[in-house]
This record gives sequence, structure tokens and C-alpha cells, in this order.
Amino acid sequence: MTFKIVVCIKQVPDTNDIKWTEHNTIQREGLDSVINPYDIGAIQLAKNFKYLIPDSEITVVTMGPNQAIDALKTAVAMGCDDAVLLSDKRFSGSDTLATAYCLSQYIKTFVPDFDLIICGQQAVDGDTAQTPSSMAQKLNIEQITNVIAIKEANNDFSVCIKDTNDYKQEIKASYPFLMAFSQRDIDIIPDINGYIKAQNKTITVLNADDIKADTDSIGIKGSPTQVRKAFRPLNNRESIRIENESVQNIADFIVNEVNKCRTADE
Amino acid sequence: MNNRVLIYIEVNNGVVARVSKEIISHAKQNFLQSSIDGIVLGDEQSIDSALFDLKQLGLNKLYIIKDNLLDMTNAKVYANALSVFLENNQYDVLLMGATSDGRDIAPRLASKQDIGLTADCTGLEVDENGNLLATRPTYGGQLMATIVSKTKPNFATVRPGAFKYLQQSCNNETEIEYFSLSFDGLCSLLEVLYSENKPAAEDWTCSEIIVAGGLGIQNKENFNLIYKLADLLGAKPAASRAAVEQGWAEQSIQVGQTGNSVSPKLYIAFGISGAMQHMTGITNADKIVAININKDAPIMSGADIAIECDAVSLLHTLIGKLSD
Repeated sequence: MTFKIVVCIKQVPDTNDIKWTEHNTIQREGLDSVINPYDIGAIQLAKNFKYLIPDSEITVVTMGPNQAIDALKTAVAMGCDDAVLLSDKRFSGSDTLATAYCLSQYIKTFVPDFDLIICGQQAVDGDTAQTPSSMAQKLNIEQITNVIAIKEANNDFSVCIKDTNDYKQEIKASYPFLMAFSQRDIDIIPDINGYIKAQNKTITVLNADDIKADTDSIGIKGSPTQVRKAFRPLNNRESIRIENESVQNIADFIVNEVNKCRTADE
Repeated sequence: MNNRVLIYIEVNNGVVARVSKEIISHAKQNFLQSSIDGIVLGDEQSIDSALFDLKQLGLNKLYIIKDNLLDMTNAKVYANALSVFLENNQYDVLLMGATSDGRDIAPRLASKQDIGLTADCTGLEVDENGNLLATRPTYGGQLMATIVSKTKPNFATVRPGAFKYLQQSCNNETEIEYFSLSFDGLCSLLEVLYSENKPAAEDWTCSEIIVAGGLGIQNKENFNLIYKLADLLGAKPAASRAAVEQGWAEQSIQVGQTGNSVSPKLYIAFGISGAMQHMTGITNADKIVAININKDAPIMSGADIAIECDAVSLLHTLIGKLSD
């Protein structure tokens, strides 16, 4: 039986290249979109599974406007077998909860017999890391996040290495389950065959009706969270400059600061 | 108006997580007209050894879900148990520490309850209508967003170290209530074959002064001067991400967006350029003194006092002076 892997990706603005408008909002025009770096790691991990479990099939899915087809084509060139775009005006404005709902509806409707879902640990634009766990709940499956490597994988189970700030674990899990991969420095350079495959690939485009989504649970309507305001971190510190002082004087000054801090405490 | 606030208290190996205490301190100081309850989950051994500390947290009421199925934190099991609790108890605000486990549990709980969640907050306020205003950094700290939620409870996770823990003597012992639920069909399907706890992140909360070093320290040998000065001043040492990546310091003392947030009275930064990601971790410091040879380094305009000087020679001078 084919081992079915679903990789969820997100197209994000290239955060290394953010420009600001005079109102301190992000200048969206002319901003390049890239595949979230963590998601490229997820694609590579799916390819590793395919190597370990030969009869595997990788479907890559994303939600977004039509331009996200570029990201999906790139994912196919990188080695994914099939690509699906969830696109519908009614999806726009979805927060992490609504996004997780849409992705899980797609999986329930089109890949109910999936074995493994792989996501990147987080997206570099929002850094929330919420969508994978939220999706796992909607699908009622186990999750392993912060995965840095796979120790063992076969048709029945895999052993993942989870590495967080607090602990490191080896976890054995039977399918189906979801994992979130935390390596973000992986790059996949597609070869010429990959590009040809991507060029000829028809991307499946699905709307809210196709995935049997309840329209109250998608888009702005289905998104409980709203940004009330966005601002650039303000610097309200005095920024007193000390220049051309002798190292001795500066040392005295620092010791004085430390003493001031201590006395204030008493 | 009485705002009902519930704080998830994380207990690891019988010890109350510091971030839980930080959230309680912040809520007590800033959320007016609120009653603050806590909820804790764990197996018998863990709960019993934490019980004395749990009673001293100064909460209005503490709910405990104690079951031996809760020995290892499993996000699915914990989220579902918390969800059952929330179905039986109404709250306006729900807060959880954004630890690695908290970040696993919270989105599942929000998903189960179909409520909004704001992750990794560094600022929390309650407005006059009792709504939670949750502020978090996005785009690697380049932009801050204040987020509200139209579902109750308003739910947020909080970055460890973002708030100060204020040790308060509390006279009245917290009222405790055990909440029981059926764990039928609710057990972990994951098998933890091996588990190793990492050394706890530095106890930043108690440190009034932090001495931090960055790339300007130049090498590992020089970085020892940071440790030495910290020791002489009775301060805590810290490092920028760049210094950790060079292998000069342990990750446990990394400060910034991907490391720890700190809120000392005095933060002295030696040779740290002050990328946005670093500044995000120190926004709650009372005073920042930056020492950098490059007067155009970003930290020089983000500090209270910016001193143009070679970091390494100043470290030598300070150590010499204090060792006398």
C-alpha cells in the first residue's frame, strides 16, 4: 500500500528584505515571496521518508492566492509528487485557527488515508508555530514538534528526535501522526528533471466547497483573532552618548551605574 | 466588573515553572478587578511534590487535575483534559507560558475549543471592557502586533522572561479544588524511548544585573572576561545569538528572539551590535548600557547610555579595578 505523506507549506514574504512605508507598515508591493524556510526542511524530510519507504507519495499543499502556484511548482521541482492549492476569496483573512481548519478539511476530504503529515516548525513571518498543532487536534492525531532528525522509519512506525530549549527526546510513533520539523537552513536545488516535471505538472486548485468547509469557520468570519494595531518597536530610551573618554573613566562610570542599581534596591 | 482569569501552571518534575510565576505576578499587578485562578495537571508524584509551592502562588483558587496518565506531557492528552475543564468553567482570559510544552498544548486547546490564540506575547493588558490586548513580536521582532480575540476565553501564551516575577509574601493559602474527568479513550499513543532534560535556562528573574557579550568580544578566550566580570559584580552572564553560534557561550544564556527574554534593572552589553532580534529580548530591561567600538551599531541608538569604546579593553580594565 502506498505510504501517503502530506507536506503543508506556506508562501511568505522574504523577511530579509522588508521595506517600510512612512506609516510603519510593511511595503507589500515588490516584496518577493518565498517558500517558508522551515517548509523547505519539511520537503526534504518527506524526501528522506520516501527514500526509506520506497512506495511513498508526497503531496504538497498550501492555502493562498493564485500566485502561490509558484511555490507549489517549486515544491514539485524539489521532489514532491503532487501539488494542491486551496484558493478561494472566502479564505482570505484566515488566522491560524481558520487556516488549520481548511488544511484539515482538505486532508479529511481528499486524503483521509494519509500516513504522515509534515510541516515546518513555524513560519518566519508570524513565528507562531500554531497551525501544525491546531491541525493535529482537528484531525485528532498525535503530534511531534521540534523534530530535528529521524532515527528510524519504516512502514509501521518511526522514531523521531525532538529537541527543544527544555529537553531532548527520542519518540516512537505509529502512523498516522503529524510532525513539525525545525531545521530551517536546508536548501534543495532542483535539477533539470525536477524543473521539467514541475512545468508539466497540473496543480489541483480546490475551493471552500470542494473541501466541504463550513463558511462560518473560514476567512475573516472564522478567524477569532484580529490585529488591533501594528507598530514598529519604539525606542523610548534616552540614548545618552559617551565618546572620547578614557577607558579608566568609563570603568569608573560603569561601576557607579552598578552601585546606583544596587542602592536603588535597598 | 469581575474579570475571571485562568492561568495554566506548568509543573516539571515537581517544580513550578518560572514563567507561570511571572504570568501570575504580571496579572496581579496589571489586571484590575480580576480574580486570578490557576490550573495544574500532572501525575501524583509531580503534583504532590509541587503542592507546597503551588499553595504559595497567591492565587484565588487552584484547580488540580491529577492522574497517573499525565506523567509525561502529551499535548493531545493535556489539551483535551483542559478542554473538558473549560467546558465546565467559564473564564474571560486564559494564559499559558510559551515553553516548548506550552506551545504544543495551547494551539490544540484553542483548536478543540475553536477559540483564538495569540502566541508568544511580550505584553498583556486588559482594556476597560475586559478584553485582553496581547502584544507580540512578528517578522523576527521588526514589527509588534497587538491582537484581540472575539472568542472567550481570550487566550494567549507568554514568552518566558517577558515579565518580572515579584516574590510576594502571601498570607492566605490558596483554596484548592481537584477536578476529575474520565480519561477513557484519551491516552498517549507516543512512546518516549529516551528523555534528557536540558540544564534549566539561567535564572534570569533573580538577576538584577546582566553582563552580556557579543561578536565584539572577538574570541572564546576573551568571552571568559564576560563570565569573570559577571562573577565580580554578582551579575549574570549572557550572550548574543552570534556569540553562541561562534561557540563562545552556551545556548542556555542566549538572549534575544530565539533565546531568552530578560528584564533586569541593568543590562550591560559588551560588543553586541544589537540586531532587532536581540533588542526584542531586552525591551523590558530598566536600563541598557551599551559598549561598542562602532558608534553606528544599532544598539547604540537603542540603549539608555551608549559608550563608544573597545569592549575587550574595557573588560580588562573593569576586572583589574574590581579585583584590587
